[in-house]
Amino acid sequence: MIIMSEEKTYSEAMQRLEEIVASLERGGKGLDETLQLYEEGAKLLKQCQEELKSAEGKLNELRLEDIEQETSQD
Amino acid sequence: MTEVGDLTTGPFPIGHFVNLVRQTVKQDRLFQNQAIKGEVSQWKQYPNGHTYFTLRDNEGQMNAVIWRGKCQIDSNIKEGSEVVVIASIDLYAKQGRIQLIVEKIEPINVLGELEEALRRLKVQLRNEGIFDRPKKQLPLIPKHIAIITGTGSAALSDMNRLIENRWPGLRRTVIGVLVQGENSVQEIVRGMAVARKLATPEMALKRGEPPVDVIIIGRGGGSPEDLWAFNLEPVARAIIASQVPVISAVGHESDLMVSDMVADIRASTPSNAIERCVPDYNVIQMLLSEYYTRIDTATIRQFSDIRNRLKLLTSMLKAAPIAGITNVKMQMQRLSMRMESASQAILAKENSRLIGLQAALNTVHPQRVLERGYSMVQTESGEVLSAIDQLSIGQNIKMNFADGIADANILKINKTK
Repeated sequence: MIIMSEEKTYSEAMQRLEEIVASLERGGKGLDETLQLYEEGAKLLKQCQEELKSAEGKLNELRLEDIEQETSQD
Repeated sequence: MTEVGDLTTGPFPIGHFVNLVRQTVKQDRLFQNQAIKGEVSQWKQYPNGHTYFTLRDNEGQMNAVIWRGKCQIDSNIKEGSEVVVIASIDLYAKQGRIQLIVEKIEPINVLGELEEALRRLKVQLRNEGIFDRPKKQLPLIPKHIAIITGTGSAALSDMNRLIENRWPGLRRTVIGVLVQGENSVQEIVRGMAVARKLATPEMALKRGEPPVDVIIIGRGGGSPEDLWAFNLEPVARAIIASQVPVISAVGHESDLMVSDMVADIRASTPSNAIERCVPDYNVIQMLLSEYYTRIDTATIRQFSDIRNRLKLLTSMLKAAPIAGITNVKMQMQRLSMRMESASQAILAKENSRLIGLQAALNTVHPQRVLERGYSMVQTESGEVLSAIDQLSIGQNIKMNFADGIADANILKINKTK
């Protein structure tokens, strides 16, 4: 299970990606900075991709009593 | 009973007269099985099962009776209740009293009372600042949706279908509750409690799934009474208590419930709730791949920019210190080019010569000769024999072929030269 909030929320990640892309597209960066931005962007994209995957899961459909029982504290 | 014909025979006995009146009013259809509304007063249910009351409003009043077992009497009806009755007029001749014989009685102010309670609840919530509190933001990608709605309802299948269209396999927990009737409030409140529990990290850890990050509470359309649970305080409080965003989706666009007012998002319908919180997977995926492309393209362009800048820089540096002796430099360059082409030519010539030599060498090598069908004769000690004079009868010789050696003995010698 991936919980992005440990790093960045999805929307924060997307926001940062937009910044990175805009910055790269503006150009005029040095080699180190370009590489850094690229790596950060690639990492964020990978995180986002994993985030999408982590939204997939089980469909629980239960009557109230059953789920109450399931979630009652032991 | 007195006949109408008796009218002319003298003064009426009052009993006759009253009965005549009774007959007249009973004949008039306007007074029979009429729907009449008014307020209940002097409501009295007798042990014998008959119910007596007065139906009144500001303009007038009339006694009324509901005979035992005549109709179902709503338990909410009491002193002061607004009711509609279906009743017929009768005149109780013995007392000369006109009264309504009630066939059916329905309260009309139940909703009115509820509406009064609703008004008070809204005022209270407003005073508490509930409507002004900041709304919680929906996650961009919901990882676990809790849906509290009617078990097996059309609203639920609509929502499930829409989710599968937009994001197949999206994780969700449906909590089936009663959404109308006496127990609905209690069940919705308990459903919310479960959803809130599923939103805690502890429960998520225990169940091995992400915590609930959106709660949808709702049902399909219905009459105001059907939807009323969503206007009641316990439901409102259960929504307010949620630590994650709650979407209220009750009935249709036109039904504005208290649950809608206290929730973080008001969806016009259950389907709309899904549209609000479940993004389209393909759109999100496209957005991501667009970022992939843009980052790649921008980085590659950036690299080539850097390379070009480096080239430019290098040539500038090279040019700078020898700017004054360009001619010399050019001469040197020409010279070195000539030298190079010259040496290339020499090398090429040498090379072809070597190849020729190699070929020539190849042709004279003994092995090559043997390969062409000749053989070489040697003495037993290995001395090469090139003339017939070197041989004698009975001598052992070795005959060398390209692929082997044969031992032989001289039988006869014929000298030809």
